[in-house]
This record gives sequence, C-alpha cells and structure tokens, in this order.
Amino acid sequence: MKKKIGVYVCHCGGNISDYVDIEKVKEAVKEEADVYLVKNTLFACSDSSQKEIEHDIQESELDAIVVASCSPKLHVPTFRGVAQRAGLNPYNYVQANIREQSSWAHSDNPVGATEKAIQLVKAAIAKARESEALTPVKIPAVNVAAVIGGGIGGLRSAISLAEMGTEVYLIEKESKIGGHIAQWDKLFTSNDKGSDIINSLYSQILKHTNIKIFTNAEVIEKTGSIGNFNIKVKIDKEILPLHVGAVIVNTGFESYQPLQSEYGYNVLENVITLPDFKNLIEKSDKELIHNGKIIKKVAYIYCVGSRQDDEGENKYCSRYCCTAAIHVAIEAKQKYRNIINFHYNRGIRTYGKQELLYEESCKNGDIYIQFNLENKPQIEVVKGKTLIKVKDILTAGKEITAEVDLIVLVTGMISRKDDTLINTLKIPVGRDNFYNEIHMKLRPVETVIDGVFIAGTCQSPKNILETLNSSQAAAAKANSVLTKGEMTLEPTLAQINPASCILCENCRNACPFDAIMTVNYEDRQVAKVNVSNCKGCGMCTPVCPTDAIDLAGFTNPQIEGMIDALVN
Amino acid sequence: MSADYDVLIIGAGIAGEESALKLADMGFKVLLVEKEPSIGGKMILLSKVFPTLDCAACITTPKVSETARHPNITLFTLTEPESIIKEVDNTFSITLKKRPRYVVEQDCTGCQECETVCPSVVHDQFQMNLVARKAVYIPFNIANPRIALIDIDNCMLCGACEQKCPSNAIDFTQKEQIISVKVKSVIVATGFKLFDPIHIERYGYGKYKNVITSMQMERQLAPTRPFNNILRPSDGKVPDKIAYVFCTGSRDHTIGNPICSQVCCMYSIKQSQLLMGALPMADISMYYINIRAFGKGFNEFYMQAKDMGANFVKGKIASISEKENGNLILRYENIETGEVSESEHDLVVLSVGLLANSSVTKAFKNKILKTDEINYVKQTNLLQSPAITSIEGVFAAGTATAPMDIPDTIMSAGAAAAEVSGYLNQLS
Amino acid sequence: MATQPKILVFSTEKISDPAIDLAGLLKKHYPASVYTISVPCSSCIKPRWIMRAYEKGFDGVFIAADGTDCSYGESCGEKTSQIVMNTQKLMREKGLQPSQLKMAAICSVCAEPFVKHMQSFVKDLEKIIETHANS
Repeated sequence: MKKKIGVYVCHCGGNISDYVDIEKVKEAVKEEADVYLVKNTLFACSDSSQKEIEHDIQESELDAIVVASCSPKLHVPTFRGVAQRAGLNPYNYVQANIREQSSWAHSDNPVGATEKAIQLVKAAIAKARESEALTPVKIPAVNVAAVIGGGIGGLRSAISLAEMGTEVYLIEKESKIGGHIAQWDKLFTSNDKGSDIINSLYSQILKHTNIKIFTNAEVIEKTGSIGNFNIKVKIDKEILPLHVGAVIVNTGFESYQPLQSEYGYNVLENVITLPDFKNLIEKSDKELIHNGKIIKKVAYIYCVGSRQDDEGENKYCSRYCCTAAIHVAIEAKQKYRNIINFHYNRGIRTYGKQELLYEESCKNGDIYIQFNLENKPQIEVVKGKTLIKVKDILTAGKEITAEVDLIVLVTGMISRKDDTLINTLKIPVGRDNFYNEIHMKLRPVETVIDGVFIAGTCQSPKNILETLNSSQAAAAKANSVLTKGEMTLEPTLAQINPASCILCENCRNACPFDAIMTVNYEDRQVAKVNVSNCKGCGMCTPVCPTDAIDLAGFTNPQIEGMIDALVN
Repeated sequence: MSADYDVLIIGAGIAGEESALKLADMGFKVLLVEKEPSIGGKMILLSKVFPTLDCAACITTPKVSETARHPNITLFTLTEPESIIKEVDNTFSITLKKRPRYVVEQDCTGCQECETVCPSVVHDQFQMNLVARKAVYIPFNIANPRIALIDIDNCMLCGACEQKCPSNAIDFTQKEQIISVKVKSVIVATGFKLFDPIHIERYGYGKYKNVITSMQMERQLAPTRPFNNILRPSDGKVPDKIAYVFCTGSRDHTIGNPICSQVCCMYSIKQSQLLMGALPMADISMYYINIRAFGKGFNEFYMQAKDMGANFVKGKIASISEKENGNLILRYENIETGEVSESEHDLVVLSVGLLANSSVTKAFKNKILKTDEINYVKQTNLLQSPAITSIEGVFAAGTATAPMDIPDTIMSAGAAAAEVSGYLNQLS
Repeated sequence: MATQPKILVFSTEKISDPAIDLAGLLKKHYPASVYTISVPCSSCIKPRWIMRAYEKGFDGVFIAADGTDCSYGESCGEKTSQIVMNTQKLMREKGLQPSQLKMAAICSVCAEPFVKHMQSFVKDLEKIIETHANS
C-alpha cells in the first residue's frame, strides 16, 4: 500500500480546462485516502512541470504519483521517466485519461465531463495505491534484421542497416530483386533511369558481407518478440528458420487494375494504364506506335482508382500519380515532338518542387481539362474515332469533345492484395488497406508490434524520394534499438502464486507464447511463468480455477480498487 | 581521428531533434545548436496538426524534453555556426557564435518576476506580433529551456529586472562567446522561412489590419494562444465571415518562388475545421487554385472539411481592398463560373508559403554546400541517398531540402541519422 | 430523466483504447456515465471483476474486445467469448440479466462504432432498469 500519493491535474492549455472544472477535480480528490498533495498544471508534460513533479517526489518523499491529463498512449513514458529520475519506481506512476476520454469526449456536457474526470482520477489514485515497484526485464537482443521486400525501399533499408552494423536478411518474394523501379525508365524528378538506380543499389549490397539475399522467399511464420524473433522463411520448397531482432516490412504496392470497361478498359484496344504507357514509350523508337497505329494525341485520365466516390473503395489520393503522369507526358513530348497531351484531371497535385514539372508541361502546350466526379469523361467510338466528352471546370463548365488516339488511365497505388504478411506479422491495416504506423508524427515507421517496422509504399502511396526517406528512417530506428545488444522488456508480466496452484494445465493451454513451465515447489510440481516468453497479455489469468494468477499492473486489488472508486 | 563530437546538428526544430535523438540512442555524441532561445522549431508553436488533429504541443514537448535531457546530446541555444572548415583528416573545425542571454542559464527558475517590472514593451515575435512582451522575457509558456533572456536592442538598461530577480540570474556583463569544436560530421537541419506577404502589395498585408497570415491564425488557435478567442485585429470583433487566400507566396514567379509549398492547403483546411469548431456560426471561404490533399488521410480530411461546411471556391484573388468598417473586399475570378466576382469578408487569412532558409551556406568556408535553383540544400543523390549533400560528411534533414510536412520531416531526419551513422562507422 | 445508466468498459491498451481515444479526439459524443478501464487484452478480464462492477453499482459492463486485431493471437476472440459465457452464468445466479454484459470487437479506428454501441447499450439498459423497477 502506498501512503503518500501526489496527484497532478493538467489543463492541457485549455484542451482539458475548457470543459472540465479543474478546481472541482482538485477539491474532490484531495480528501481521498493517502493523497498527500494535489496540484494543477498548465502542461504537465512541459519540462518545468516535469521538474516540479521530480522535486515534489524527492522533497515530499512521495511513493506514488498520478497525472490526470491526456491519453496514456502519449505520455506514460514521459512520466515514468519523471518518476525514475526522482528515484521513484516508474511503475508507481498511473495516468488518468481526462482529455480523450473526458473533456473531449464530453465537450457537449461540461458538468458530466467534470464528474467523470473526478471518478477517473479517483480510480487512478486507487490503482496507484495498490501499485508495486516493478523492475524491467533485460534480455539479450540480436543485432540482425529481416527486410521483407527487395524493391527500392527494401534495398535502401538493407544497405543502411548494413552500413550501421546490423546484419541483414533481405527477403524477396519474386525471383529477382528491384521491384517496380527496375522496370521503369526515367524517373521524376532527377530523370535517373530506374534500372540504373537498382543496379547501383545492388552493387552496394554486394559490397556488404553482412547482407544475405533470399529470392523466391516468403516469411510464413513469426514467433518471439523484439530483439529475438524467430521467423520461418519458405524458399521454394524449403523452410529456413532465422533468428532476427527486428523486421522491416517494405513490401511496396500494386498498381490499381481498372475494372472491366472502366473508361473503356479491356473493351477498347486503345485504353491502357500509366505503367503500360511508360513501357510503351520506352519500347517505341522514332514514332509512338500502339497496336500498329501511330499515336499523336494522348489523353490522360487522372485519379483512376483513387479519390473514388461512394461506389469505390479507395477514398484516398494516390499521391505520386499526378506527377508521374505529367513526367511521362513531358517525356513523350521530348521523344516525339508532335504529340499532343490532354490531361483530364481532378485538380493537379504536383506538390512541392514537382510543381516545376507541371509548369514545364504547361509551357510545352499540354492541355489541361478538369472534371469532377459528377461529370466523369465519357468515351465513345464514332466511326472508328475515339472521342472524349467532358464538362470542363476550367472553362466554366463548357462541354469539350476531343478526338484522341490513345487513352492512358492514370492508375494509383493500392495495397498488396496478398494478406499473408498481415496474418503472419499481425500488422494493423488502416481504412485505406495500407499498413498502419503507430503514430503518424511521433513514430511514423513503427507499428503496434514492437520490433516490426514499416517503410515505403506498403504504408501509403509515396514517391521514390519519400520511400527512400522512410526506408532509411526505419533502418535507423531498428538499428538504434538493436545496437546495444540487449532489450529492456516491460515488467507487466503474469505471476503465479505457487501456494494456490494445483497444476491443472489451464494456463498452459491458454498461453499463446509457450510461457508456462513446470517447477518444483515444496513437495509438488506447480506452474511458473517463463518471463522471457511472457508478453503480459493475461490470457492465463481468468482461466485459473483457484485465481492463482495475476498480471503485474492489473492485479485484483488494482482493478477492483478502480471499480470501487469509479462508482463511489 | 579525434573530435569533440561525432556530429554537429544545426537547427533544433523537429528535424534536428529527431536526427539528434536517433544518433544519441545509437550511442553517438551529438552537439545540437539552435539560433533561437528555445528548441522545438516552428512545430511547437502550432495549434493542432493535420490530418489527425492531435495537438502539436502535446506531440512536440515530449521530444523536446527528451532532447534536452539525453545524456549523449549537448545543446547550445542562441548559437549559430560562424565557420565550418573541412580538414584534411576529414574532421570539421567549427566556430560557433553564442549570443549572450544576459541571464545565467543555470540560475534562472523561470518565475517571470523580471517580466513584471520591465518597463519596455515590444511586439511578441513568438505570438506573431499579435500581442506584446517585455524586453526581458520567456519566449513562450512551453519553451524549453523555460528561462528568460533579455532582448538587448529593446532594453533600457534600467536594471529593474536585476533588482527584482530572486535568484540573481540577470547578468548584463555577458558577452558574445566564440566556441571552437571539432566534429566528424554535420547535419544541416535549418528548416524553412515563412513567406512575408508584405511583398504582395495587392493583398494589403501590413496596410489592412484584418489581413493576417496563417501563422497568426495558427497562434490564435493554439493552446498557448494569446487571447481566449478568435479576434480580428482592427477592433477585437469575433469574425464571422473569414476568407483564406491559398498559395500566398507559392507557385508565384513574381516573388521568386515557383514551387508549391506542400503544406499550406492542408494547414488551411485544418484551420477551417478548427474555426468551424470554435466559431460554429462563422462562414469560411477557401479561395484556392488546386487542393493538394495528397498524403495519408489528407483527401479524407479535405472531404471532411467540405462536409462540415467550408466553402471551397476555385479562384485566384486578384486584389483586396478595405472598407471603412475594416471589412475587406476580395476581387477574384471564379473559375467554375468564369465570372469576375467580389465578396466581402471580415477577416482574411493569407495561407503563406515556405521559403528556403539558406543562410547556413555562408558558414561553409572551404567547401561549397550547393543549393538548388530555389535555394534549398541540394540533394546530390536524390533517388538513392536523399540526405547526401555536395560535401562528404555533411548531410541534410527536413525542410532544409524542400518544403514538407511533419511526418515527411521526421522520416527525412531519420534518413539523415542513418546516413551519418553509416558514414561514421566507415570512418572508424 | 433519472441519472443515466452507468457503464463500465473494459478496453485494451493497443486496440480498443485508441478507438475510444479517437472518439474523444473527433468529439464524437457518448454519455459521460461511460467509464473505461484498460487492460492489455480482452481475454485477461476476470469474471470476478465484472461481478464486482455490478455489485458496486454499475448497470452494464461492455467488453471492447480486440477481435481479430489482437496482437497476442487469434485465440483472443474465442477466449473472451468464453469469459462472457462464464460470467453470464454467474450473473443469472445473482438475478442479473445476461444482456447487462455486452461484448463487441472494437478495432483501433472504430470510433464511430464504439459511440454507437454506447448509445444503444444505454438505451437497452434504461429498458432493463425500467422493467426491473416496474416488476
């Protein structure tokens, strides 16, 4: 039992105090048993407040602290750090979420929000009162990473890891590395050739003895945890077990395949996708020829498979396609001077420096026609002529009909359809079906699975530059975790009271991680938790017939104390 | 090869911090220098950030504290590199200029007593000049370090603060310090400059009081905001017909910035959502050329603003004029109707763009840090190693290389850290 | 109207907590008489905790389960259902309606579904309380 608890109620600069009456909260909790001091603070997370709490812990010899502020997801590490620096065990810290779960959720009801905040703080005090000092478990970690995907992003991650001293297994599903980029010719915005870039990266890979490449290979199983994953890789028909500390998933994207007859796709022979068109330009010589016909007028229809209306699943913008289409159009114009490009777009999104390409294309005389979803371009073939009809926003909705030779569907990126990895690695997926990071700004390359990182276009559509940055960022993060050679694990693990254990095997059957072992206790055998395997899920706790198992941080006295405080 | 630090990082905004933390976690010794009196760059001053609407201060402050506290990071504020010379042994000899704070850093407790007695009142640059501060001041509430400094240009040297300070931290005898260090590598993370719309006369910024910049609006929406409400400057009225002028200082050859600033569309859309929350009765019109809602969750966020009622008008503003009551008349061509129209608003927010901040290039004395045609640090191996610059051992992170949003900045800073770590390993 | 039914939500740190937080972030409102206790995984909730909640005055308990998103394995949903069934047995013994205990999978971005669940659960509980008062 903790006897001296310090409670800090955060205003969050108005995010909380605009709706929750902070003074009322302070007043209501100050008489709670064992509460030694209650303070309010404009920003509990600010450095000065952190220092103040540290000072209070030492000065008043507090043995537990509660901060009532935002979601614990944001600041538990911050305040555990405060406790630690002040010499208090970090697990004697409890956070009450009175922002996301009170002031914001009930901003329509300040009285209710205040009442709820009071109860939440009381529950946190109850939990703090029953909190125990816990010591993190240290386990050795291997400085080895598996990089899944041998496209440009995966190659980049692998090289960076190797340069930083992490050993790499590069695992590619196809028979060759290089991904999409190896098949593409000139790339924006430097005009480097895709094959040259892949060759250059590949030659760097070959210089590193600490990178091993597996092609025709797939990860089919993952067990263990950060620092010590055991993965199984299927290579042709063989299964190779590997021991790695981290996994970087860099599996890239698929190009959206237009539906049957979407803008005449698969019905008209002169309707092709952007990747097809890129190849066509590369293969054509002096004249641009498609199906034996010389092409003079090219229509690009943008946002095919992206920014869809209610009928389509893809609400997102695919980011790279506006620039990619314009870049191709410029290339076509350079190679075959008398080409005329018509861009049927929904607002050009050449963000950043890519704007210069848009400008160049306009200077080339390319024609831009803008439509919205209610008035998509209509394609019809009249006497062998392909006509596109559309109401153009840029000319006050005037209906414009153009005859063209070739229609290029500017298709976006979609997530990989193969969901084996989602099942094997348990990576969460967002509404757009791409892999989801844990926090877009704080931790953009990390997932909720510790040690499993994401980079490149498997996370969201990106151009090459952005793919490289995220691939190197993931490498840096993985290396910074593994380079010390040991990992510190959360000590919130299951613990079995041997005196009550009857060795019924229920817990062993419930545990997904093989963390229950048998040991001798007095004159009999009992179950015991193997801490290096235990993940702290607690699945073993409700199945015990004698209630002999508790999860540290979620013990009966803690949870029941919280329940009592919430209704009190 | 011996050096005082493994890496010098110039700029302690979110890019510099991220690179510093990654490298420090890997065990490298980092020297982080910041020209401002506190760290966290521009992000710490923002309100909420798109497209998730989480509060910028809440995200920035833990990283700021972690940076300030990390045992492998040495931090100098009010400090800029004077000269950077690459030596034959591949180390860099650095001369740093540290401006005097006139406050002893370790003695100041941040109690703000000095501010109460200082007689000199000037514009508060951290509140975008919306309110005033004293000549002795703490930059802003969540500044780190949260200690005072004296703005000597505006100080009357009356000594009132010196007498008032309970910890005797005021020291008028402080002089500019020149610090020499040797480092093995450098990261340029000097960020961007905001476009000053005074250069576009037809918008009347600086002349019409109710024409403000998006950064000024950002401060009015931030948790550490100067007023407890959204107010227009001329008469303190709560505005109810607000206009946003997109692409102010971007995609514009006349002011020398032909590129798109990459973040203005989204921050304007975000501000519109926050304003619709704060002022439910207000009409908000967004005058745009193209909406660049390209990133993860951006297009959905744009659609959400439309659904909430923001009025998007495709049209470039030709000119702004002021009425006697302080309201503003916007003249524009409505592209969708093809007509030239006028509309009246009581507050106009200019969505100002980002410009390159290339002042650091002057510090490189014997090797040239190349920049591109719009003055951003040139990425000499763009499609293989984006952090590499024209000088071996010097890397670039974040908006020093191009305009970009927060997630892209964090990833670019991570990439720079990876490059530095690889480079340092190959040196040893 | 009398005070709203009190609901205790058991949510999980990695999956349903973020959804509930997101509901707050998006200011999607639900009754303030809904309280949350976070646990690592929904399959660690002990029936005695749920019974304690009713005993102390909660009208309903809602388990925001991980479902298939659970980072601790696929067995989570099945195990959580088993806990619900076991608890409902205990509830019958105490004269509680099994419908006072609800479970639904809440994914990490399920802010909207969470709010809808809360709104409908409150309505259901109001009916149960009313019937109980009339009987």
